[in-house]
Amino acid sequence: MPQRDPIVMVDKIYDAEGDTAHTGLTVKAQNYFIEEDGRMAEPGLIEHIAQSASAFKGHQALVAGEPLPIGYIGEVKKFHCYVRPAVGDELTTTIVLGAEVNGVTLMTGEVHCGETLVADTQMKIFVE
Amino acid sequence: MTKEEIIEKVNPLLAEEFEVEESEITPDAVIKDALELDSLSLVDLVAVIEHTFKVKIPAADLPTVKTFEDLYNYIESHQA
Repeated sequence: MPQRDPIVMVDKIYDAEGDTAHTGLTVKAQNYFIEEDGRMAEPGLIEHIAQSASAFKGHQALVAGEPLPIGYIGEVKKFHCYVRPAVGDELTTTIVLGAEVNGVTLMTGEVHCGETLVADTQMKIFVE
Repeated sequence: MTKEEIIEKVNPLLAEEFEVEESEITPDAVIKDALELDSLSLVDLVAVIEHTFKVKIPAADLPTVKTFEDLYNYIESHQA
């Protein structure tokens, strides 16, 4: 999960406590995943959720005084995109970390734009 | 929950989650082989057991849970 230009898909961490974090992204015109219709392609939401989880794991490492881990998407399951976000939308994402085994963490991600559910999924991220 | 009740719950649960025949799940069968687990799906096993039985399975304990018999005993001995 690069989290580097040109694929920066998280620009805020609102809070991170226990197994839950909330992140944010302002959808800009120059976002890598914006298509001709001015809306984000579905893979952009997967990347946003994965980077949100990685940012959460990174935050946990910082708090614990550990080196920043590198995260990889291991598996995406039950991904649903209900609305493709438009330029100018403010996305708020809830990440809940589940079981972790040998560096593989199960997590769920849910993206909202205001009250509207934009996307949700289950992922496995591998962090080393 | 008695061991028999655990078995009655675990077998159909894992058969459905991992899409195998319940007949594959026998006490002496090796879990990784019967459920065709890899490093990614191993976390699904831990998640579904933790969620269903409210039993935490630390990664350090996993090497001791090789067969389904081991799993039944682990759940039975770690129930809240």
